[in-house]
Amino acid sequence: MPGFTHLHTVSGFSLRYGASHPERLAERAAERGMDALALTDRDTLAGAVRFAKACARAGIRPLFGAELAVAAPAPETDRTETSVRRDRRRAPVRGGAFVDESAPRVTFLARDGARGWADLCRLVSAAHTAPDTPLLSWADNHAGGLTVLLGPASDVGRALAAGRPDRAAKLLAPWREVYGDALRLEAVWHGRKGTGPGSLRLAARTVGFAAEQGVRPVLSNAVRYADPGLGPVADVLDAARRLVPIDATKELDSGEAWLKDAGAMRHAAERVVEAAGLRREAAHRLLEQTRETAAACLVDPEDDLGMGAVHFPEPHLVGAGRRTAQRALASRAAAGMVLRGYDRRRDRRQYWERMHHELDIIAHHGFASYFLTVAQVVDDVRDMGIRVAARGSGAGSLVNHLLGIAHADPVEHGLLMERFLSKERVVLPDIDIDVESARRLEVYRAIIDRFGTERVATVAMPETYRVRHAIRDVGAALSMDPAEIDRVAKSFPHIRARDARAALEELPELRGLAGEKEKYGKLWELVEALDALPRGVAMHPCGVLLSDASLLSRTPVMPTSGEGLPMAQFDKDDVEDLGLLKLDVLGVRMQSAMAHAVAEVERATGERVDVDAVPDGDPATYRLIRSTETLGCFQIESPGQRDLVGRLQPATFHDLVVDISLFRPGPVAADMVRPFIEARHGRAPVSYPHPDLEEPLKGTYGVVVFHEQIIDIVDIMTGCGRGEADRVRRGLSDPESQGRIRVWFAQHAAARGYDAETIQRTWEIVEAFGSYGFCKAHAVAFAVPTYQSAWLKAHHPAAFYAGLLTHDPGMYPKRLLLADARRRGVPILPLDVNKSGVAHRIELVSEKRRASVWGLRLALSDVHGISEAEAARIAEGQPYASLLDFWERARPSRPLAGRLAQVGALDAFGANRRDLQLHLTELHRGARGGRGDQLPLAGGRKTASAGLPDLTSAEKLSAELGVLSMDASRNLMDDHRTFLNELGVMPARRLRDARHGETVLVAGAKAATQTPPIRSGRRVIFSTLDDGTGLVDLAFFDDSHDACAHTVFHSWLLLVRGVVQRRGPRSLSVVGSAAWNLADLLEVRREEGLEGVAARLAGAPGAAAAAATTAGDGDGGGPASRGRSAGTDGRPAPDGATDREPGERRKIRMPTGYEMHPWADLRPAGEGSAVGRKLWHQSPGSAG
Amino acid sequence: MTILCVRFQLPPMYEAALPQLLGLLEEFTPVVEALPPDGALADLRGAERYFGRSAVELASVIRVRALALHGVDCVIGAGPGPMLARMALRDARPGVTCAVPEDAPGEFLAGKPVAALPGVGPATARTLCEYGLDTLGRVAAAPLSTLQRLVGAKTGRDLHEKAQGIDRGRVVPNGVSRSLATERPFTRDELDPDRHRRALLSAAGELGARLRAVDKVCRTLTLTVRYADRSATTRSRTLEEPTAHSASLTRTAYAMYEALGLQRARVRSLTLRAEGLAPAEQASHQLTFDPVDEKVRRIEEVADRARAKFGPRAVMPGSLAA
Repeated sequence: MPGFTHLHTVSGFSLRYGASHPERLAERAAERGMDALALTDRDTLAGAVRFAKACARAGIRPLFGAELAVAAPAPETDRTETSVRRDRRRAPVRGGAFVDESAPRVTFLARDGARGWADLCRLVSAAHTAPDTPLLSWADNHAGGLTVLLGPASDVGRALAAGRPDRAAKLLAPWREVYGDALRLEAVWHGRKGTGPGSLRLAARTVGFAAEQGVRPVLSNAVRYADPGLGPVADVLDAARRLVPIDATKELDSGEAWLKDAGAMRHAAERVVEAAGLRREAAHRLLEQTRETAAACLVDPEDDLGMGAVHFPEPHLVGAGRRTAQRALASRAAAGMVLRGYDRRRDRRQYWERMHHELDIIAHHGFASYFLTVAQVVDDVRDMGIRVAARGSGAGSLVNHLLGIAHADPVEHGLLMERFLSKERVVLPDIDIDVESARRLEVYRAIIDRFGTERVATVAMPETYRVRHAIRDVGAALSMDPAEIDRVAKSFPHIRARDARAALEELPELRGLAGEKEKYGKLWELVEALDALPRGVAMHPCGVLLSDASLLSRTPVMPTSGEGLPMAQFDKDDVEDLGLLKLDVLGVRMQSAMAHAVAEVERATGERVDVDAVPDGDPATYRLIRSTETLGCFQIESPGQRDLVGRLQPATFHDLVVDISLFRPGPVAADMVRPFIEARHGRAPVSYPHPDLEEPLKGTYGVVVFHEQIIDIVDIMTGCGRGEADRVRRGLSDPESQGRIRVWFAQHAAARGYDAETIQRTWEIVEAFGSYGFCKAHAVAFAVPTYQSAWLKAHHPAAFYAGLLTHDPGMYPKRLLLADARRRGVPILPLDVNKSGVAHRIELVSEKRRASVWGLRLALSDVHGISEAEAARIAEGQPYASLLDFWERARPSRPLAGRLAQVGALDAFGANRRDLQLHLTELHRGARGGRGDQLPLAGGRKTASAGLPDLTSAEKLSAELGVLSMDASRNLMDDHRTFLNELGVMPARRLRDARHGETVLVAGAKAATQTPPIRSGRRVIFSTLDDGTGLVDLAFFDDSHDACAHTVFHSWLLLVRGVVQRRGPRSLSVVGSAAWNLADLLEVRREEGLEGVAARLAGAPGAAAAAATTAGDGDGGGPASRGRSAGTDGRPAPDGATDREPGERRKIRMPTGYEMHPWADLRPAGEGSAVGRKLWHQSPGSAG
Repeated sequence: MTILCVRFQLPPMYEAALPQLLGLLEEFTPVVEALPPDGALADLRGAERYFGRSAVELASVIRVRALALHGVDCVIGAGPGPMLARMALRDARPGVTCAVPEDAPGEFLAGKPVAALPGVGPATARTLCEYGLDTLGRVAAAPLSTLQRLVGAKTGRDLHEKAQGIDRGRVVPNGVSRSLATERPFTRDELDPDRHRRALLSAAGELGARLRAVDKVCRTLTLTVRYADRSATTRSRTLEEPTAHSASLTRTAYAMYEALGLQRARVRSLTLRAEGLAPAEQASHQLTFDPVDEKVRRIEEVADRARAKFGPRAVMPGSLAA
């Protein structure tokens, strides 16, 4: 019996509609004996590439299509009653309007190869030009290469459902006119009652109507999910899409819309035909028609979608004129040689040879236009005055350097072209460029202007369901209490939705929630079913597609929601498969921050600083880096990096490159760090497997750090050439090919006369570090901004902090940067409407002899709720003579003026902050008439006092946290100092002098929490506390998680007991054993006194359990617990550990045998770092 | 020390019991002011002399009687004036009557939050707190002119006096409760307008029946819609004429509901409150030549009697029976 072809199938890419992934659909279709399957997602073709690949794997033929909402033919003579009703509908006071899904939907299938695909792309793109929801206008609704299915959701189907065949006939006429013979009527039977969509009667009517009208009918199952039993998931998706709860009393999903096999569909055909009053043969005819329709739809993924081919912009657009792209590239590279003076150097031969070698490789692949395109983009960006830098392996190419794409000279740094592109490598090269984040969209627009919208589009990035969103959507669909949903969702770390129940079983911080798991019924099941389904689509943060003029016939394009930039519906992997050239333009905040810092220095002092021309080897800069006070410096500010920098003690640019390469999950997991540091500080001898290998390994004390070194080693040992060596290196990460490479390596090395022991030792190195090394070209590209930012921090601290606070690049909250600035002696100047600018500025505070002290003036843009226009207006009108003057000329909104008064920005106008508030209110009342822009002539300079109590010091701090999200006047921990002293908490500053193994109490505001993957395969919680005197880095090993994890993830202020652990003069952390929520303790202290605190410390269950653990740790402290957690799994299980067993056994084995904890490397539970008010107790009715 | 403020611990929805409890208070003094839904003020100026006990002692007597007769506990505050008695009530617990000292009421008030003061609504309290006047002590210390700038001339003056403990109020005897309420909760987030209307129909029917049972009419109807996120929308409408006629109550409730235009709002409950209650005999009724109105009212009367005899579910609108 021949199989059945489903012509109407949607996948999860139909946002919040389809419940199965395209891969699953393809697999199931193959399992159920079908040999073709169509994918017709709603309003999108985003799943097409994945579907095509999945079909190729499963061995079935893909059909491509889309289901689009279609507008009625233009001359609408009779106003339908629905439209009248819609006009009359009142705007709801609460909850918003219903999601309008009233537009009829029609399925389009691509039929005639490339033409059909191009038509499909055009229709989808056209539908997305409609305002609000995608809607295909009738004017765009024509295509020669498409087959159209009019199903129950189409206007014709609706008329039939309403029992109006006459109206259906009238509506069918325009469709026939446009599509003629390519029109089909689609019958769907889902076993529903009545005459609505999915009912037997409608299906029968459709078949009968088709016979009457002479249109061919087809049978489909309007598939939404691959397997039976997924009806409830479809209900959740419907609810999430319509933004309403599931209403059990209304019509739910039938549960029949799965990928039924041929037998079931034949049965359906028979039932439908029978109900239509036709003979049984008609069922065969119906199935035959369906089969014929499917057979006619021939779109080949390779030929017609353009998979596997490459499309570059035409050469004349990238400055090649009438020459070929290769000629133009060669002459530009030669010009670059002269421009940079390499032709006059002594080693010029090396440069020329390398250049010609690279040009050969480029010519071999025909990628010249690609290089010219990137060079063109970089030139354009630079002309706009935007900082731009290349990153990635492209920095290893001399041609890139000569074209001005990459800064660093690859010959000097020993970077290899082969890591980037070689004759042996047949993938698209990629060059990433970093630009200032604040001006990224400007760059995009410039690229679009240069190449035109028919060649440029940004890349999509589907946002998929992870556990938190899944819980929110399912909870809302099940009518759960919103506050409850919020609490449950936030308890989870950012894990995959399908792991929800496993996480409940295994994670200590979810133990409380796991206890009440039953209460939520089928929530968990549904949450897991939503796993990884796309729930929205956003613009990829960096990818830009560049193609020739045929882009729009190969890719559907939609405008992005915010910026209205054209965006291809495919994601970055799809785009590569389709052979479209993608240029990664990353917005890097640090570049913006540095640009701002440089601009500030120039504005305030007139001195022009060129950070790109800063000489290497500046001692002050390296002194700063070695002190580990690198907060805010690019790439080296995280707790782990600060620790590494402290141990490594970098002194040159090369050290920075190594440092950045070492701090990767791979090298850290493989413990490449320790031997390197030992060798560097002369504690271990430097050894090479063979003297020949000294050259590549010399710079890193015999430790393999870079990919380039592996390439060189393989090349030297086997003589295979670097291109081949890079392929070998890539093969190392795959265990299967590793075996083959090993044999090959031994043979060739032996042939070149190396003895067996050398080969063995070298192979061990290659095997262990081959897949973990870091591309040196990347590291060099990273190290440049690292050095530049550290240089700025050392020499222009105030401007550096101004840049950081304005563009907020780092992993730490702004208040921590501010605390760092305060510690480094940069005066923090409060917000003042007469002095503050829109962005953070620097100001001369005092001039002592020659040394001038620059302060940091806080910015208006950090005030909560200020609009750009308001900030600009305030800055423009400066200075203001009086409150009245400020009010009339700056015209702030009333709440904004109030906030400015609260944080003291209006203090210059006299009176206290509350009096100012009162005056503002009265001005607001009086100003409702509106007076225009004229300068007020009357009005005193000072504001009279109204006798209101001023804000207390605590209220001022609270206001700062609330309005600026920063404690600007002093550190918030300062206010708790007395209590902390009572407890005997050790300040971070004094922690430096603490002994190794000493048990201490530390406290502070939590700054960052992570659970990175580590070598031992355990889950370790790393956290950083800020207590005003410095930072304390904490680590919680898994024996303390039961007691601490929940507290650590869900509190903002922490009190921690732990053991000091030292690993170097500057490397220090505290291994936590017990943690308390400091905010709670402060509350208890205030209300119940010290006795209450004692009771809390004695009685809390978390603390009690923690006390037991510390007792177990004993004096051994840090090293003991460290050693244990890094050691074997065989330790006796403490009680209550049975439920943790699966967690300990379920480890992710990495290719080289290291184990990773399944829950490591995830964004942890809680809400990230604290901002604003959360750090402050909420005193009843103060400060406003 | 002569005014008592009593709050009976009535379970919600049992407002109907309040008149009896007020009767209990009236055994001590004729000057009793009802504070619906569950409280009352009583002026014991004469009673102290008559019973030969102080107000605080009488408070104990009242509590004992309320417990003995009605099984209802109560909390009592005592003070020289009604405002102070109500403030005292905040600090009282069952069995512990809190009394405001007659000579230094200002001190008693100083630490109290402004929102506790009778007559200070959420809006005024918010304004005052914004300016740091979060306790009555601070309000008392603030200059009168500043207060008046903050909250207006009259409110400012009142506030100033009250914060100082000057209580010019008196207990004004009034009748029973001035409002009746009924709630219709939903077990899940309900979006269906039909079910909303059904709930309103039943709530209006119940209110009408309860009003007619005590021979009252109401002047105003208030609809409160509570949503899943614990927020609420409230709308009030004054009826064309004071009435207890279920049909016109329903009509008004529907009109208020329609005006909200709810679509996706997740409604968790609908509350209908009849306010401005007055004796039915004082109500006027516009007669019409249309006999339908008259007939409907007659039917309602009959239905009331049937319900009195056979229980509340004996007669009901068809749409509720399903």
